[in-house]
Amino acid sequence: MANFDQLSAAQIAAGVRAGDFSATEVARASLDAVDAREPQVQAFLEVSADLALKAAERTDQARARGEELGPLAGVPCAFKDNMHLVGTHTTCASRMLENYESTFTATCVQRMLDAGATPIGKANMDEFAFGSSTESSAFHRTNNPWDTTRVPGGSSGGSAAAVASGEVTVSLGSDTGGSIRQPASLCGVVGMKPTYGAVSRYGVVAFGSSLDQVGPFGRRVEDVALAMNALVSPGRDPFDSTSQDCPIDFLEHLEDPIAGKRVGIVPQLMEVQGLTDEVRDAVNGAARALEDQGAQVVEVDLPNIASAISAYYVIAPCEAFSNLARFDGVRYGYQEQGCATLAEQTSLSRAHGFGEEAKRRQMLGAYLLSSGVYDTYYYPAQQVRTLITQDYERAYEKCDVILMPAAPRTAFKFGELSDPTQMYASDMFTISNNIVGNGGVSVPLGLGRDSGLPVSAQLQGPAFRDRMLLQFARSIERAYDASGIVAPDFAGKGGDLA
Amino acid sequence: MRSLQEVLQDWEAVIGLEVHTELTTLETKMFCNCKLSHDDEPNTNVCPVCLGMPGALPVPNKKAIQSIVMAGLATNCQIQKHSMFYRKHYFYPDMAKNFQTTQGPVAFCMYGHLDLEVSGEGASERPDGVETGTDTVAAHDVAAPVTVRKAEDGSYTVPIRILRIHMEEDAAKMVHVGGEEGRIADATESLIDYNRCGTPLIELVTEPDLRTPEEARLFMEKLQQTFRTLGISDCSLESGSMRCDGNVSLRRRGTRELGTKTELKNINSFKSLHDGLEYEIRRQAEVLEEGGIIYQETRHWEPSRKRTVVMRVKETADDYRLFPDPDLAPFDLSDEFIDDCRARIPELPDAKRDRYIASYGLKRADAAQIAGDPVTAGFFEEAADGVDARVVPTIANVMVNLVPAFDALTPAQVRSISTLLASDAITFAQAREVLEAVNGTQDDPERVVDERGMRQVTDTGALEPIVDEVLDRCQDQVQQYHDGNKKVVGYLVGQCMKASKGKGNPKLFNQLLRQKLEA
Repeated sequence: MANFDQLSAAQIAAGVRAGDFSATEVARASLDAVDAREPQVQAFLEVSADLALKAAERTDQARARGEELGPLAGVPCAFKDNMHLVGTHTTCASRMLENYESTFTATCVQRMLDAGATPIGKANMDEFAFGSSTESSAFHRTNNPWDTTRVPGGSSGGSAAAVASGEVTVSLGSDTGGSIRQPASLCGVVGMKPTYGAVSRYGVVAFGSSLDQVGPFGRRVEDVALAMNALVSPGRDPFDSTSQDCPIDFLEHLEDPIAGKRVGIVPQLMEVQGLTDEVRDAVNGAARALEDQGAQVVEVDLPNIASAISAYYVIAPCEAFSNLARFDGVRYGYQEQGCATLAEQTSLSRAHGFGEEAKRRQMLGAYLLSSGVYDTYYYPAQQVRTLITQDYERAYEKCDVILMPAAPRTAFKFGELSDPTQMYASDMFTISNNIVGNGGVSVPLGLGRDSGLPVSAQLQGPAFRDRMLLQFARSIERAYDASGIVAPDFAGKGGDLA
Repeated sequence: MRSLQEVLQDWEAVIGLEVHTELTTLETKMFCNCKLSHDDEPNTNVCPVCLGMPGALPVPNKKAIQSIVMAGLATNCQIQKHSMFYRKHYFYPDMAKNFQTTQGPVAFCMYGHLDLEVSGEGASERPDGVETGTDTVAAHDVAAPVTVRKAEDGSYTVPIRILRIHMEEDAAKMVHVGGEEGRIADATESLIDYNRCGTPLIELVTEPDLRTPEEARLFMEKLQQTFRTLGISDCSLESGSMRCDGNVSLRRRGTRELGTKTELKNINSFKSLHDGLEYEIRRQAEVLEEGGIIYQETRHWEPSRKRTVVMRVKETADDYRLFPDPDLAPFDLSDEFIDDCRARIPELPDAKRDRYIASYGLKRADAAQIAGDPVTAGFFEEAADGVDARVVPTIANVMVNLVPAFDALTPAQVRSISTLLASDAITFAQAREVLEAVNGTQDDPERVVDERGMRQVTDTGALEPIVDEVLDRCQDQVQQYHDGNKKVVGYLVGQCMKASKGKGNPKLFNQLLRQKLEA
């Protein structure tokens, strides 16, 4: 029988339902693949084999009792390590939370489990999701499955790499400025950031509360749609007051043609400094592919988009400073020993518990929020936010979705972007969507002409039109025959279904 | 130090209050479903949200918003439809997130006022003609003075403006062990009880319109009565569910410029509030008169030593890095919601007092005292229900003067005893004795009166022979009366009472004696 990494989520669920294989067999195959591939990939911070096998066993028992199985029955899934799952640690890839055990299970994780998913483990990330390469993880790097000398992107680099290497079928990441779409692009998988509020943030350690959104990775648009269905059901989460009802069946209309729909291109974005030729050409190629399927390509203008990154690097550090203030070593987390005073203990616990980037962002936030400075930065940043939101609203009067790159370039080498501002530029195409709260998805366009590494397009859409994004993504996937590709060095390594 | 009254002749005290009230009548905390309780074992009513665990998110308690809107409406505030929560950052173990969720520049309730009636001895604290903040309570941005004129009996009414009432969450309770008076400075250990963390709290800030410790005390009392009547809190200063900080500064009478203020803490009774402010005013006057400087500092009231001591000196303003809480969407209160809050407001103490005066003819002081406490008012109204209108003032009198000494009387018992008193069937002293007998039972006082043969003789025909006998017997006292010692009647009433074995009505004896002596 096939290697499990060749199966879609729907095929796994159908196979488990039909009795072609058990959920336990799929779980074992996934854990086997993790064993075989993980030494080169290092996507995981914790592999939860016991939890996985127990969950799979419950699925098999439910089937034996004749119960209806969930749409993700037996589907191996990884969770970014900023999501709580009881029975695992939630470290946020930080020394600060190295020994922190989840005290409750995040709503997004619980919903995946309720749909039948098997929790394979917790995926590596940039510390507290601060970064675009997963290099700021306090524990280890994660390698890009397409070229292990390169980064997988970030901050959800582990979640992207685990899917790209075929260790799991789907995974969850969080996206504050591009942390799902950019690593998806660098790892050649589909990654979706839903509209803000569509998926509960309860149980996800906050970075930028007004920007954070959880979303799925998969090797197929259909897998992502299936995961989205699980994440938005059964309605808004009463534990997250910013969550909203999102009564959408993401599988519905997925295969519908996009003929007659309008695809927006923002010319200024296609000329932006730092965008490589191969990525620009690939995205233009995607536009032509959509045109070939009957879509109309129109030019739209986002006049204030250049200010998005500046506004983001005011708002996000302010929220991060506030959200991370609780890590003081008093109740849990890294605690400096032998201190004479509370102030000393707090200072040293934070000084030694946080990495460089985490400290940089918190100091930036503390400065930006301080009295006298607040009015100069925070308030104007919120005004810029409104302007960009208005830009998008006007643009969506002319088009249904906007097509642009997901990342300016393909995967870079470890240590290549040593200047933080260079790293921040990795998110130049994704950040604006977090600023306005809309959904976006990155979808692979095959390998780059020059680099030979995965290149993706990004589709952005109006608020809560996330299903249409997947419909467009599916059209591109069909055109590029890019469905279900595992990074070639890892495909089939371990993970055979007996 | 000079006395308060002497000081206030030369100096004007400018006082503002910040009052924190826990919404103790709610079932759950501000942002999570944990139980609100003061009595449970420490750290038992906690969850990831109120412990500030990573990944937890706040969900606002709608009933708390309802309570604060009611508080605002009851204190004549303008309800702000659009407001939001902010995060106020500080590092301290009593706040698990290291920020407190509170409100920013716009609070749910802005620009209200309460009118204070100051009478009796307390009114004398305020010298005549002292100005307060403004002549129009609505104009919070205008500093136009209003002159308060005292009535002939010394009483006066003054509006005290309320700047805002905002919603926030309480911090955990810290217990400092091993030090003197529970203070942190010399403690060996600090314990934290997170049961209190996340308790819904409303903070009311007055404008600096108060001028005397008595006014501050009365303001707090009125606020307590109002909030208790609304049913939003038990408002206990002793247990800390209502907490008050007083800001006070002095300026020479007739000048406008504000002096440096000190903040008074550890106020856990009305008396502490009055006495602490009085001490602080006298202390500041002494410092200033000796050419000294008042430092902006927080001072701790020590009731046992009747003094304030420095807690901390504020050299620079704290930077709390306030910004809108991104986890909580801005509020957009509907007219329906506000109307519903308004409909939930019961009759407030002032209106109730005025009604008692108008419908029952109660004395203003009795009416105000009964109307001030919702439990007392309810008891009174039940006792007065269906009773002859002439008896009601007696019920009020009994409520004010007798009932507080007992813990388990029923309204029916109070009605019964008041009816007996109003018809002069028993004396006040006898009423007290009867209430002692029926307290905690369902017994009817009238039955006790009859059983004990207490009912007084009110038939003048039966009393006249006794009066005649006493006047005949006490010639000396009769002579004293005619010589101008009218007080001797008391002695003669006593003799009559004795002769009647206590059954004659003293009021009637008094009346008959005077008639006969003047005849």
